[in-house]
Amino acid sequence: MKPESSLTNAKGPAVRVKSISQMDDRTLGITWTDNESSRFDVVELRRKCPCATCIDEWTHEQILKPEQVAETVRPLKIESVGQYAMSIQFTDGHKTGIYTFAMLRRLAHLN
Amino acid sequence: MSLIKSMQEKILGRPSSITEDMVRSALSSIMDPDLGKDIVSLGFVRNVVISGTDIKLDINLTTPACPVKDSIKTQAEVALKNLPNAGTVSVNMTATTRGQVTPAGSPIAASLGQVKNIIAVASGKGGVGKSTTAVNLAYALAARGSKVGLLDADVYGPSIPHMTRPDAPMQSNSNLINPPMAAGVKIMSIGLFAGGDKATILRGPMVSGVIKQFLTQVNWGDLDYLIIDYPPGTGDIQLTLSQTAPITGAVVVTTPQDVALIDVRKAIAMFDTMKVPVIGVVETMSYFVCDGCDKKHHIFRDGGGARVAKEFGISFLGDVPLEPSVATASDQGSPAVVSHPASSAAKAYTEIAGAVASQVSIIHEAYKDALNHFSIVWNSQN
Ligand SMILES: Nc1ncnc2c1ncn2[C@@H]1O[C@H](COP(=O)(O)OP(=O)(O)OP(=O)(O)O)[C@@H](O)[C@H]1O
Ligand SMILES: [Mg+2]
Ligand SMILES: [Zn+2]
Repeated sequence: MKPESSLTNAKGPAVRVKSISQMDDRTLGITWTDNESSRFDVVELRRKCPCATCIDEWTHEQILKPEQVAETVRPLKIESVGQYAMSIQFTDGHKTGIYTFAMLRRLAHLN
Repeated sequence: MSLIKSMQEKILGRPSSITEDMVRSALSSIMDPDLGKDIVSLGFVRNVVISGTDIKLDINLTTPACPVKDSIKTQAEVALKNLPNAGTVSVNMTATTRGQVTPAGSPIAASLGQVKNIIAVASGKGGVGKSTTAVNLAYALAARGSKVGLLDADVYGPSIPHMTRPDAPMQSNSNLINPPMAAGVKIMSIGLFAGGDKATILRGPMVSGVIKQFLTQVNWGDLDYLIIDYPPGTGDIQLTLSQTAPITGAVVVTTPQDVALIDVRKAIAMFDTMKVPVIGVVETMSYFVCDGCDKKHHIFRDGGGARVAKEFGISFLGDVPLEPSVATASDQGSPAVVSHPASSAAKAYTEIAGAVASQVSIIHEAYKDALNHFSIVWNSQN
């Protein structure tokens, strides 16, 4: 696979966050620098946590089962990490997931 | 004055006047090659003063180190002089460096809030001339009129104090440390602290604490560019740096040898993972110019840095010759661009600085609306 640079990627520069806000009780809204808008269900984000305890680093298999995450889980705080990702601290005490913007865009495009 | 102009003046009694619209439309054919737009739509033309037929204006570029500054000035003067009846034309070149906006609440606001651009100078392996590049880049940008700071993040092998010899001792006001200056550039390094030379005994978590302090507790003040000399390789310090501060872009330094090029790929991949734009590749100690014949001798295989840049689709920023004066200048505490400005190495560093400044302006155009830091508290209903 040919490596792609973040600057001159054929798809243009990698996207960053232009604005981010809570839309309703369980929806996070993000507008990206290319003006695309995405909405995320926060419970779904908890289930898709990419950290090493939730996803097996080697097999990429999901360790966390969806049913282990209660429908009532919510974020406490969402913070940027560098210019490429954000971390979410959840009400169930979990906070190790680093959600890259690239991953969030992929998730948004799946829905 | 042209014959036609003087004829017209005789017929009309006075020269017909020039309007600001005429001036702007005359200048709208001049392109900024980096940003791909004309200087009028980019808002570069400012303070237009027309008195009779005399025209005076400023062209405000995105960096004082703009490599096409002189060419834009000449094109503007020609375009204005070609206006019918134009009298004296005076084009003044100015620059306001574009930069990022750090929100007031962020943990880096006190330290880096007025720093417009943070540039990482990194390499895949040690000893490739990275610190020398960082220092010369900083001084070349300062020489063109930018406000510059230089942070030595190579805590295990700090070399910036030796290469720059900051004059004043460090002082702190309330909770920020004031960085000392060396020939107009603000310097910070663990080597400036008593016992800093023993930094090799610092363990991981302490190192990360020191790095965070450099980015949150140093009074960098108002800077156009903060250059960071990264430690070689792709470890935790590099990650901490990119996670703590909004790095505008990274310059990756290599030598032409194939072994160095393998590591350069790793360094580029690391910045990609952290989504720090790679500004481009610099190749140092590429060739030497011999006294006898003035020919460039490539000691290693020619053009390795350029090949890697092409492979990743990023800019090749230039190559720097191997020149003994570069090493002695650094050893004497005065970078080559300051002490040997006429040397081919100094010229190469200055050209690279111009290329870096252009690329930084391009990055800002792409990310001008991006949030550099955010933190939201969720409002739960249950
Ligand atoms: N263009 C050049 N011509 C001649 N000597 C050079 C040149 N660039 C760097 N050097 C010398 O090569 C040596 C290594 O350079 P430098 O310290 O800048 O590399 P580095 O990549 O920062 O190394 P480290 O990994 O130790 O931090 C120094 O002695 C320096 O003076
Ligand atoms: Mg070094
Ligand atoms: Zn997790």
